Amino acid sequence: MIIHDVICPFCGCLCDDLELECEGGKIIKVQNGCALAESTFMTDTRLPAPIRRTESGWEEISYNEAIKETAEILQGADRPLLYGWSSTHGEAQSVGVHIAELIGAVIDNTSTVCHGPSILAIQEVGHPGCTLGQVKNRADVIIYWGCNPIEAHPRHMSRYTTYATGFFVPDAQRERTVIVVDTRRTDTAGIADEFVQIEHGGDYAVLSALRAIVRGKASVIPAKVAGVSKEQLIRIAEICKTAKFGAIFFGLGLTMSRGKYKNIRNAIELTDELNRHTKFVISPLRGHGNVYGSNEVFTWMTGYPFAVDFARGIAFYNPGETTAVDILRRGECDAALIVASDPGANFPRAAAAHLAKIPTVVIDPHVNATTALARIHIPCTAAGIDAAGTAYRMDGVPIRLKKVIDRGYPDDAEILKKIYDRLNGGKGP
Amino acid sequence: MRVILESKVRAKPNLPIEAEAIIPRNFLKGTDLLVYEGNKERTLSELFWIFVEGTAVSPENIEVILKGDTSRIKRVGEYMDTGSIVIEGDIGMHCGNFMSGGTIEIRGNADSWLGREMRGGTILCRGNASHYCATGYRGEKKGMQGGKVEVFGSTGDFCAEYLAGGTVHIHGSAGDFPGVEMRGGELIIEGDATRPCGNMKSGSCVILGTVHDMLPTFEKTRQRVLPEWKITADVYKGDVANRGKGTLCVRS
Amino acid sequence: MTEIWVKNACVIDPLNHINGEIMDIAIRDGRIVESVSDRADVIDAQRCLTLPGGIDSHTHVSGTKVNFGRYMSPEDMRAGRTKRKGKMHVTSGYYVPTTFGNSYRYSAMGYTTLLEGAMAPLEARHTHEEFTATPHQDMMANTLFDGNWAVMDAVREKDVRKTAAVVAWTLKAARGYGIKLTNPGGTEAWGFGEDLTGIHEMVPHFAVTPAEIITTMMRANELLKLPHSVHLHCNNLGKPGNYQTTLETFDIVPDLNPDRQTLYATHVQFHAYGGGTWKNICSKAEEITSSVNSRPQIVMDMGQIMFGRTMTMTADGPMEFNLHCLHHNKWSNHDVELETGSGIIPVTYSKKSAVNCIMWAIGLELALLTKNPYQCLLETDNPNGAPFVKYPEIIGLLMSKRYRDEECATLHPETEKRTSLCALERELNWHDIAVMTRAGQAKALGIVNQGKGHLGIGAEADIAIYPIRTDSVDPAREYRKVVEGFQKTRYTIKRGRVVSRDGDIIVDGANATFWVDAMVPEDLKMENDPEFIKRFEQFYTVRMSNYPVQDVYLPRGRRIETEVFT
Ligand code: SF4
Ligand SMILES: [Zn+2]
Repeated sequence: MIIHDVICPFCGCLCDDLELECEGGKIIKVQNGCALAESTFMTDTRLPAPIRRTESGWEEISYNEAIKETAEILQGADRPLLYGWSSTHGEAQSVGVHIAELIGAVIDNTSTVCHGPSILAIQEVGHPGCTLGQVKNRADVIIYWGCNPIEAHPRHMSRYTTYATGFFVPDAQRERTVIVVDTRRTDTAGIADEFVQIEHGGDYAVLSALRAIVRGKASVIPAKVAGVSKEQLIRIAEICKTAKFGAIFFGLGLTMSRGKYKNIRNAIELTDELNRHTKFVISPLRGHGNVYGSNEVFTWMTGYPFAVDFARGIAFYNPGETTAVDILRRGECDAALIVASDPGANFPRAAAAHLAKIPTVVIDPHVNATTALARIHIPCTAAGIDAAGTAYRMDGVPIRLKKVIDRGYPDDAEILKKIYDRLNGGKGP
Repeated sequence: MRVILESKVRAKPNLPIEAEAIIPRNFLKGTDLLVYEGNKERTLSELFWIFVEGTAVSPENIEVILKGDTSRIKRVGEYMDTGSIVIEGDIGMHCGNFMSGGTIEIRGNADSWLGREMRGGTILCRGNASHYCATGYRGEKKGMQGGKVEVFGSTGDFCAEYLAGGTVHIHGSAGDFPGVEMRGGELIIEGDATRPCGNMKSGSCVILGTVHDMLPTFEKTRQRVLPEWKITADVYKGDVANRGKGTLCVRS
Repeated sequence: MTEIWVKNACVIDPLNHINGEIMDIAIRDGRIVESVSDRADVIDAQRCLTLPGGIDSHTHVSGTKVNFGRYMSPEDMRAGRTKRKGKMHVTSGYYVPTTFGNSYRYSAMGYTTLLEGAMAPLEARHTHEEFTATPHQDMMANTLFDGNWAVMDAVREKDVRKTAAVVAWTLKAARGYGIKLTNPGGTEAWGFGEDLTGIHEMVPHFAVTPAEIITTMMRANELLKLPHSVHLHCNNLGKPGNYQTTLETFDIVPDLNPDRQTLYATHVQFHAYGGGTWKNICSKAEEITSSVNSRPQIVMDMGQIMFGRTMTMTADGPMEFNLHCLHHNKWSNHDVELETGSGIIPVTYSKKSAVNCIMWAIGLELALLTKNPYQCLLETDNPNGAPFVKYPEIIGLLMSKRYRDEECATLHPETEKRTSLCALERELNWHDIAVMTRAGQAKALGIVNQGKGHLGIGAEADIAIYPIRTDSVDPAREYRKVVEGFQKTRYTIKRGRVVSRDGDIIVDGANATFWVDAMVPEDLKMENDPEFIKRFEQFYTVRMSNYPVQDVYLPRGRRIETEVFT
């Protein structure tokens, strides 16, 4: 059986034009997707049942037992942490928030280790952005800053930017100028019309200089800024100012380097300044398929996109204080529920190590590095493969992930609802 | 009147305590106060040995003394308007939030967000202060608006971010981006600083030590003698990335 | 079977010509009926003011733009925080509250039906997700067409039938309720950073004018027999001198429908400015209302502003950018491919600002100078003019000259010179208010026959009982009591269940979403139009098959099917 227009749940591009061939409850062929999509759909090994750590190793347990024990762990905790959420659908995320609210937990998503700084910057200065189709149809200048889409978002350029045929840019390759800014010469830099190589940690200074130049203050700028010549800066500023429509995309090279959210803020303010000359937009390249969805769901339910602390009954938010990495690093939490993510692999060692010291439960279709730190692992469906649900693309466009096969696993939203019911004395959210 | 609070040994010492109830005024009516430990409400006496010496009829005569391990206690002195608090050791985050009067003295180190959104009064920190010393809240346009924060040690990053009024005086060094987004007030750093005053709009900052990675968007205007510091300083205007009209003085 | 017997209610039900009668209301299974059995639960209304549930015909509570307003505003979130309590979830926020915050606070004020003012079809799924999390009001969504490429193509071809077909397809795909035009043509121009300055200016690259878009859409709307009319946010919002654009727009509105208006002009306060700069801005409320008074085919809403901090959010991207250049605060912009734009910035309306004071006065003038209250509905374009929790204060101001005078005394002195508010003696009565907050909305939205906005037999039992005794309160003098009374109902009844008591929600909500399935002749169906499909697949970034909102997003969808045209 061939299924058309399938959505790839892997990265924030959420490409929705894949073709899957399925046979007997198995996916046998993936078309149109990139290599990451292919491995997402084709390599999907899961535990047959929930497992629990014992003195002598892992033992299989029933879903009911696993759910009961998880509820008990959470119920008894003074500072439970519910973390992850970015690779599952909105339906599971919203049950997660209800659990957090019910038991006074901290709930956080993977923004903590990727675009949290972008969110902080947006909270300071806002976000001039657009849907990806605006860029595809209009942009004649594209800037990739601190990111390498060829590796991390392989189809971003062909679907939305550099190579995509747009209404106002029918000959994309010729009509678009691509600028890549990075500290090293990446694959993406290889295709750039203009490559700007910045010294490590110099992004903020370069962005400040560009803003000053766009504002007509080039005279203040020294001959070199963080390794970039003033001539090149002036040239870049000119390309931007004379663009019909410019779009900046940025990644972890900007969010996670020195200065973090101030870098992003500076890039947004550059975009703002450029809008006084032409049309310019800026967007983070979000990583996990539905990390943006977790921000959206958290926001309409709690008011905050990530790092929400319900310890006092109300929702409190203060990244640096209520973010999962920081709470773990300080050894605050005494129980953890990890859903649809792998902090064991992505967190700083000291933070991840704390997970092994406390009762940690993982709900995830796949065994991952966090499993090794956990007390219980409960396997479930994978959103977009054997479960349908809502995901938000990196530009905020909501897309319904499809269920393409049935593998007989329970949906993580269902598992979470059962945990909620137990915590709430049998009553649903 | 003196109220001495000595922290008790806790089963889970890493759990944060939120204790905005600890301000002098509240002790006028006794010591029956509520605080939070993790997600549980506790009475003050569950977490502290409480000793009260003398009496007071008005809050300005109340001195609260915190002893023992107080490094995980947050929000001490929040909304404090009068009286004094002395912390003998280290203090947790958000000490002196929204403070409008009175004095807080920290003999040890202070965790992040010391004096957040402060409006008046004085905070003295004898040790180091962590990140976001004397700053504001996420998304808010103004940080500290009045009063004085004096740190005898050094601070972490983003010290005096969004400073809008009052004085912040750091005897040691400040980390990355002190005075970033400043729009008023006065920031003095006797030691070193990295990338000071990024995107500043207004206000003034004096740095006596070494500046690392001076931003390219500050315009050197002249030299000036600063008699109170007995130095000659280069005076910069900025940040010109912004419409900034702030002053940054760096020892020549 | 659940039954409620509301006795001793002082009922104002304008659509059924009831004005202050003491009567009983019988409710069975969510509807108002002739009588109930003696097993019914009894609510003694104690002669308190009892109205049909409130309806907001233009508010921003759900969807991409609203949520982005929340996302970028942690400082507002801490302004209104409540803990979980009984059936109530945690809430955060004051001017952009969480979905539950919106729902609870509206319910406490007796509101049971809301129309989300702007939904981009591409992002409709998001709006519907938030509707589900706004459980105590029935919802419907204005669907944005102002920069819709397929619509502009059909308009250029002067093809009303084709325009109607695009609208029908899109409404169904988005599960939308009616046509919304926000700065028609201007949002497309904003795609390249431009704006339009009048209704006869050409939209770049599309060779149509706003006037053509508006007229063709009005005709398409009536051809499709949509329950609501075209819902228009005029061009040039918020610019001194824009009243001329507004009047020109009103001039081109034909009278096409005997049952309701042909044009719903929203937040007209923002479109009633004289002068040419911020320095000489003045009120043109008299000109605007005299136009509306002579045109029954137009209904407007106030777009009242109230002093304090709030957030402006609209599909009108260029306007928000202009505003941003004045305020230098944070600015978000979000253009939607082939459809529309949007912008968000926080603002503070201050009594120290002459401009803000004049804006405040204009909104009130509009309401006081419009003769027929069915033609000027009460709202703030929540949260643009003010958060909706300010409605009771607006009611107080409209009912009391003294309250207005007391307020005026605290305002910038220019207010008196550049508006006529202080000279207006009119004080609205309880009946006027009932029209301007529910009956008028129900009629304008075309939901009277869905049982909304009235308390006749068969109506949905959406009822608000306020702690106000109209026989003993004199609103002109005791306006404080009026304001307080409208802030918290004694009972809010939604579809026959008491959902809120004295401001607290007491049950889990289960709202419905109204959407319109407009029928078109077989040969006009866009899903069979090869040109339309080709363009869609070429220029959108989602596949056409993934675009329509699936039924799972409307767990209690109420589909309104229209009659097919020929
Ligand atoms: S670019 Fe991302 S969403 Fe698209 S196919 Fe590759 S991994 Fe999947
Ligand atoms: Zn609106």
